[in-house]
Amino acid sequence: MTAAPRPSPDEDDRLEAAERRWRQDVLDPALARTGQRQEAFRTQQLHWPVQDVYTPRDLEAIGFDYLKDLGFPGEFPYTRGTTPGGYRQDFWKMLQVTGFGTAKDSSERWSKMLEQGLNGFIIEYDLPTTNGYDSDHPLAEGEVARAGTAIDTLPDMVQALDLPWDKLQHLNSVCNAPQPVNLAMILAALEEKGIDPASFTLQMSNAILIEYTCVGRYIYPPKHGLRIATDCIEYTIRNCPNWIPITVVSAQIYAARANPVQELAFGFSIAMEYLDATLERGFDIDEVAPYWSFVTGLEMDFMEAVSKLRAYRKIWARLMKERYGARKPESMELRLISSPGTTGLTLQQPLNNIARLAIQMLACAAGGGAYAITTPLHDEAHALPTEEAVRTGIAVQHIVAHETGIADTVDPFAGAYMLEVMTKRMEDEVMAEIEKIDAMGGALAAIEAGYFQKELARSQRARFSEIEDGVRKQVGVNHLVDPDEDRAIEVFKLGQEAERKQVDQLTRIRRDRDEEMVAKALERVREAAMGDENLVPPILDAVKALATQGEICDVMRDVFGVYHPDSLTSGV
Amino acid sequence: MAERKIRVLLAKLGLDSHTVGVTVIAQSLRDAGMEVIYTGLRQTPDMVVQAALQEDVDVIGISSLSGAQMQHIPKVLDKLREEEIDDKLVVVGGVIPDEDADSLLASGVDRVFTMGAKTSEIAEFIREWWDEQQSSHASVSSEGA
Amino acid sequence: MPRDPVALAERAREGHTASGARLIRMLEEGDEGALLGLRALLPHAGRAHVLGITGPPGAGKSTLVDRIVGELRRREKRVGVIAVDPSSPFSGGAILGDRVRMNTHATDPGVFIRSMATRGQLGGLSKTAFEATTVLDAMGFDLVLIETVGVGQDEVDVVELAHTTAVVSIPGMGDDIQAIKAGILEIGDVFIVNKADLPHADRVAKQLTAMLHLREPAEDGWDPPIVKTEAERAKGIPELVDTIERHRTHLETTGGLARKTRRRSERVFHDLLRERAAARVLAAQSDGGASILAALREGEIDPYSAVDALISEG
Repeated sequence: MTAAPRPSPDEDDRLEAAERRWRQDVLDPALARTGQRQEAFRTQQLHWPVQDVYTPRDLEAIGFDYLKDLGFPGEFPYTRGTTPGGYRQDFWKMLQVTGFGTAKDSSERWSKMLEQGLNGFIIEYDLPTTNGYDSDHPLAEGEVARAGTAIDTLPDMVQALDLPWDKLQHLNSVCNAPQPVNLAMILAALEEKGIDPASFTLQMSNAILIEYTCVGRYIYPPKHGLRIATDCIEYTIRNCPNWIPITVVSAQIYAARANPVQELAFGFSIAMEYLDATLERGFDIDEVAPYWSFVTGLEMDFMEAVSKLRAYRKIWARLMKERYGARKPESMELRLISSPGTTGLTLQQPLNNIARLAIQMLACAAGGGAYAITTPLHDEAHALPTEEAVRTGIAVQHIVAHETGIADTVDPFAGAYMLEVMTKRMEDEVMAEIEKIDAMGGALAAIEAGYFQKELARSQRARFSEIEDGVRKQVGVNHLVDPDEDRAIEVFKLGQEAERKQVDQLTRIRRDRDEEMVAKALERVREAAMGDENLVPPILDAVKALATQGEICDVMRDVFGVYHPDSLTSGV
Repeated sequence: MAERKIRVLLAKLGLDSHTVGVTVIAQSLRDAGMEVIYTGLRQTPDMVVQAALQEDVDVIGISSLSGAQMQHIPKVLDKLREEEIDDKLVVVGGVIPDEDADSLLASGVDRVFTMGAKTSEIAEFIREWWDEQQSSHASVSSEGA
Repeated sequence: MPRDPVALAERAREGHTASGARLIRMLEEGDEGALLGLRALLPHAGRAHVLGITGPPGAGKSTLVDRIVGELRRREKRVGVIAVDPSSPFSGGAILGDRVRMNTHATDPGVFIRSMATRGQLGGLSKTAFEATTVLDAMGFDLVLIETVGVGQDEVDVVELAHTTAVVSIPGMGDDIQAIKAGILEIGDVFIVNKADLPHADRVAKQLTAMLHLREPAEDGWDPPIVKTEAERAKGIPELVDTIERHRTHLETTGGLARKTRRRSERVFHDLLRERAAARVLAAQSDGGASILAALREGEIDPYSAVDALISEG
């Protein structure tokens, strides 16, 4: 193999001279006439200085080495993609985040979406479910079946999974804090329906450490949260080897206004915390690393987005190879879902969001490497998406896939001077931040000390100020504002009916079940929680005995305690 | 004599765990010189009112993004009435549909800030209300003197 | 809500939360009239046991306070909590988040939680915090806990004025004991090693023991005990509360209580005198002292001459 062509010293001198000449003779006179739009230019999230032009000399300056930094698609360090043929082999999977109402409401809608050409979807549960409360808990009032599907007991899950299984390839279930209960519900429902778990991929987020960082749907103190997440990972790897038990949704950190460096550094540190906990259970790195998956968020700065996606793959590959000594390629190949629409959408002039989503989609495709992309919805801000929005979102996916040609070359922007400079800088800064978190004792310690939370609070404040002060332009918000715009917010209203139905069903199940069996099963869960035993099997038994999700979580609340964070903002 | 500070209670009711807005507003009010008491998540109306009483805040700010505002906020207002508290400014922020906002305003909320409101706007609104209170208070005491 | 301090004091004594809170607020604002209310309460105060809790940030103080409150409630004591957080030196505002960790007691009528910012005020935090404990004391709370952020001298002052001072440390804070060494080791009555499930908890306890041996023996013969806790899981809390109560009994039997109360009175006297005198001197200036402060900032006058100028004019 020959070394990649690099500018020779002579050539470098020639370039430098040429650039100097261009600046003096061409650029400066032009600017003397027109001036520049603004004095300096910076990227949107990271505020990195942006040069007027980038040349091969910029690559030289960062020590860019084609084989070391890029190589070829499907090979270490995977900057150019995790599959050799990229999207020429197959387009990304097109997923949809959805879920509302009772299990029946949801399964009807999901079935329709699968018929419409989606390969799978991401189930969202309502707030009581994700917080580990039953639908009749006092805190649940008004929230039941509102922001997602309500699941209290096994019959709810059986109903929710009433789907055309021949069309379903991928199911993603987001229920972080009570994830072992959620896993058990799905396993028991599949058993009851006679569906082979190997016939599709179940992906769990199981990303409880992110909930402490920014989302807030936690139950137990972080170290216990980590333990039950690890129980799910271990159980799944041993029993359902084609499922994905852990998804680090760094998109949530991004949605909480992390900049791309923070998103990746916090996300990877969290991923490694789970990885270390799993390795402690006697696995080899190559047995478990391939199960780690990620969801990243998108914003509007195109070059930041593309370089982030490329750096994301490269850093994971390096971490697995260099830190963990992984040998199998699958361990180093980042399993990534991209999520356009994470941030950057506006409540004002919602149709503008279609343009934003198309650009973000394009960045996803250009950055490549994501095996799945969620379908963006332009009116998702706060309402249940309309059918039209769902259709448009699917159309945007297909427009980018079929009409732009972007998917026909693997990593099409590789070698672009600016992009490679940014990708390298992204990599270096993320690595430096990861080392900083290492020095604090890792993600768990950093979360317990409130470091992630405080950094995010600062970023949030800065971001809001930029937009309020007009430093950063956002169409419809602080630029091209329509003073007459009617900004009436439509919030999807289910009415009390879904809540009442759900509570009725729960009451009925509690009345008819065998209480003694429930009590015995819950006692087993308690014993497991107090010791080191994996919690999934006893929870599976409890679920089958018709214990409710809230009851199972209460047993663990009792054993582990309930987490009360330090003030999210104190000391900021 | 030490100066008077505006004290603001910021609360999240129910299971709504979206904290970006409340975090940003807490910092913005702090930077506007106010003392912000943050209750944390999963508050009940009773918890909010008890905190407001014990902390003797001037302003109660409730952030709601999950859509359950009509379940909780009217109960906060009822409790305030029960405790005969009428000297506190009650401000709601978040994703509030117009009809909910109208109904909240009618039942005693002083102002609803929907998404897109500037954080500085909220601080200014509180400051103006406070100045007005101070001047009316001052005139009452001078009349009394 | 009235601002008549004596009326407020009256209602506070009857247990009216809002009135007590308003009086504390007025005292915090340095309202001279509020002292009338405070004086009306003094005859009814003096029964509460004042417990100061300090230690470095991250030691889990709020959770610990939450658990101590829980244990005291089980013992049917009424508890007041004053939680101190720093003010922003830039804006003078503050974000006070200690309630977050005490949510379990949010609606318990036997618990009163008041968050307080340091404010960097003239008389010092100690004066205000202690005025607030007096109000809570007169309102019938059996124990008043003061939790500080544990960094400034201000707070050392606060806990020093408590009847019992508990100093919290945890294993693994780098230079374990160094963090709490500055001055505070001298004043602790009870030392808590929290997060005792972490490695090196025993080492921290041993280090503490060694360092306490270097301390001057207490004149009242109290040998500060070291208690290990795991606040998150409520472990070691009953033992801690027993120890705190034992210290209270010790103070009562050795006359320490009276001594501490005297020290506190003296301190409040000095703080108050300093504050009032300074305020008076400044008020005597036609511009409230603004011009001399401006001159000071510009470097036109040194602080010594500035004070001389004010005092001689006054």
